[in-house]
Amino acid sequence: MKAKHLLSLLAVGLVMGCSNNAPTDEPGSTVKSVSPPKPGQEFQVALLTPGTVYDSGWNALAYAGLQEIEKTMQASVTNKESKGADIADDMRTYGRKGYNLVFGHGFEYNEPAMKVAKDFPDTVFVTSSGGGTAKNVGAFRFELEQGFYLAGYLAGLQTRTGIVGSVSVQNYPSIVSTLKAFEAGAKAANPGLKVLPPVYFGTEGDVTAAKQATEKLIAAGADVIIHQANAAAQGVFDACKEKNVIALGSNADQNANESGVVLASATIVAKPAFLELAKEVKAKTFVGGVVKFGMDKGAIDFVLNPKLSSRVRLDQQQKLKAVADDIKSGKLVVPEDKF
Amino acid sequence: MEFISLLQYSAPVALAAIGEVLVQKSGVINIGLEGSMLVASFFGMLACYSTHNPWLGLGAAIIAALVMTLIYAFFVLYLAADQVVVGTATNLLALGVTGSLFRSTFGNSSQLLSVPRIPAIHGIDPIMIVMILSVPVVWFALRRTGWGLAVRACGEYPKASDASGFSVNRLRLQSLLLGGLFAGLAGAYLSLVIAGSFAENMTAGRGFMAIAMVTFGRWKPVYVFLAALLIGYAVSLQFKFQTYGWNVPYQLMIALPYIVALLVLVLVGKGASSPGALAQPYRKDK
Repeated sequence: MKAKHLLSLLAVGLVMGCSNNAPTDEPGSTVKSVSPPKPGQEFQVALLTPGTVYDSGWNALAYAGLQEIEKTMQASVTNKESKGADIADDMRTYGRKGYNLVFGHGFEYNEPAMKVAKDFPDTVFVTSSGGGTAKNVGAFRFELEQGFYLAGYLAGLQTRTGIVGSVSVQNYPSIVSTLKAFEAGAKAANPGLKVLPPVYFGTEGDVTAAKQATEKLIAAGADVIIHQANAAAQGVFDACKEKNVIALGSNADQNANESGVVLASATIVAKPAFLELAKEVKAKTFVGGVVKFGMDKGAIDFVLNPKLSSRVRLDQQQKLKAVADDIKSGKLVVPEDKF
Repeated sequence: MEFISLLQYSAPVALAAIGEVLVQKSGVINIGLEGSMLVASFFGMLACYSTHNPWLGLGAAIIAALVMTLIYAFFVLYLAADQVVVGTATNLLALGVTGSLFRSTFGNSSQLLSVPRIPAIHGIDPIMIVMILSVPVVWFALRRTGWGLAVRACGEYPKASDASGFSVNRLRLQSLLLGGLFAGLAGAYLSLVIAGSFAENMTAGRGFMAIAMVTFGRWKPVYVFLAALLIGYAVSLQFKFQTYGWNVPYQLMIALPYIVALLVLVLVGKGASSPGALAQPYRKDK
């Protein structure tokens, strides 16, 4: 009897151990740093993301940037999901292993980076947004707001009901800022239009809730819907398809989605930004600070779905292009929150 | 139409909860329900993706949920391990297995996943009909058959059941497997009926919600089903409220269904009638 209890406890422990390891077992962690690397021998880059890099969105684009660094710079790269209290620990681990560059893909990485960076002067920490900087701490600021402004503008031109809306995971500052830009863009194109309050569904990956939330927006009259739903975005697109309304993609180019309702996507093109930064770090010319990456640098784009572009009249396309040019040239400054 | 939509979005929790009534009536509390649903969602989607046939997907979902339930049953029945601990472990196992396989299979796709769905006419799909029929069937099986009486005896006082010549663990296994079947339907409902897609952790706590619904519905299939509908209505309502733009944090809105559940439990919670031997492993005295 006792032996059986022990056996079951052991087995449970084994199962728990297995499952705990599984989420971090990324195919991307190809680095073989069993022995500590000799400094200066190999350029090492780590990427920390708040969610899976397979979300075809925010995290995926950072992963694409990391792979670009691996390919073009022959760097040794690794990536890991890291949240909450783990962030500082993971940063320390990479610092101790002698990594040259550690990316944290989100504003929440900025504060831990500031703390950890003091102890690892040879490692550069860069976060996607966030305000704190030091000699070896910097931040990207992808101005996705510009893409969302254009998305709002297009929504304003396209809506027939005069109502547009958005579905998002949670009210992260980066998400809220883009939604404000969407609203500003929509009102610029069509001052009389109504932007429904943002609807949040709360849990990453909850496709079902994302779909239900979208249906409610449509029931409230919205006929153009943008999302910040990350991995659950398929639910948004499906609902739009069933009710025959326009969807807009975000972060990555989602125009080719099987639903066939994504009219355009506001995208981040992160590869050049990641590469530029890695090169600076390697050449030891990195000085820290916040670097903005917007449409002028080609890091943000707004892509019409070529298959559906017939839905956008030529004069609308021209208007859209004029606004995009104004943003690029700096004539039009899109509102951004600080975070 | 509103009502069909309510049935549809309540179905995953309702299905899992109806199955869990059977399980709990036999004296086992399947904390691993969430994990069973999740593997069903994933393997249902995977089979549907590779064969383009949602019905094969449904079959795969049910098999996956049954396998998961068997693992759970091996520990809690054969080894008589703590049901809550094993359930938690199988949930983590499910999360890890589906996450890893999803990443290695679909990780490099630059587009979101979309698979064919189980067909529905005017929003009514076959699983929804099964769900509605299962309410009286489960009630009848538990209340009006000899098997149901034996199962309930296992949940109330397993020794008596044993003394009358029934095998407690065999009856509990049968209940668990039936519960696993429902968990398979519930998981498949998420990925093959509603979403036509999969995302990591897409069950998002619905398995735990189902366990709560069993208590909420006083272990009676009809009440449990109605409880799931009530909570489903609260979920739908909170999304509607969000579009009104009241000055209320959305987190409170998302919590609304849970607040409703707690309130109802407080109001009607007197005289809880849980099976007497719930969550107690049974061993034959030597």
